[in-house]
Amino acid sequence: MTIKELNRRKTPIVIIDKSLEKYKGEVLFPEKLAKANEVLRTIGLPKVNGNRRKKK
Amino acid sequence: MKQPKYQLRAEKGLTVFEFESEGPKGTIPKLIVFTETNLNGFYNLAFGDKDKRTGKINDKVISNNNDADKVLATVVSSVYAFTDKYPEAMVYATGSTLSRTRLYRMGITKYYDEVKMDFHIYGQKKDGWEEFELNEEYDGFAVVRKNK
Repeated sequence: MTIKELNRRKTPIVIIDKSLEKYKGEVLFPEKLAKANEVLRTIGLPKVNGNRRKKK
Repeated sequence: MKQPKYQLRAEKGLTVFEFESEGPKGTIPKLIVFTETNLNGFYNLAFGDKDKRTGKINDKVISNNNDADKVLATVVSSVYAFTDKYPEAMVYATGSTLSRTRLYRMGITKYYDEVKMDFHIYGQKKDGWEEFELNEEYDGFAVVRKNK
């Protein structure tokens, strides 16, 4: 792949960094997550064709 | 996207990303986190500064590092990376303050022409969702990858 092609890519090249594993599973932004869950509870999801999601 | 972006690093699940903002205030590590909500496949996007000493995250701090466009382009590119791995995921984002939410709207507006080719974009109002429209105020935003 050329530099030109690389620059045109929308999906970035991501370096895997094992040190970030420590954050996995940790709720780093509890207020934001609570807000998102509240949005789901009150207005649900936007309507997208063929979009089926299950409650946990 | 042709806009300059920072190099992203992530854990192998691509749910936690880190990059370093560089500007007059120095190097500021930033984290972008996609957390699954109570609903399978519905993720909250949160983003904030990482305290170099404690490793804790602050999503209310205003860094003023003169690189807002580059930071925004980097966050958008993380959504591409995340939804490449989880193409069915819907990503929700809202600001920690009204002005932050407005900043997100400005960000979507800035990249709208490009992003709308790849994502369905929705705006959250008090009483429900609507297709995102430019120059409308929203409380939050949701995006989902278009099936190609």
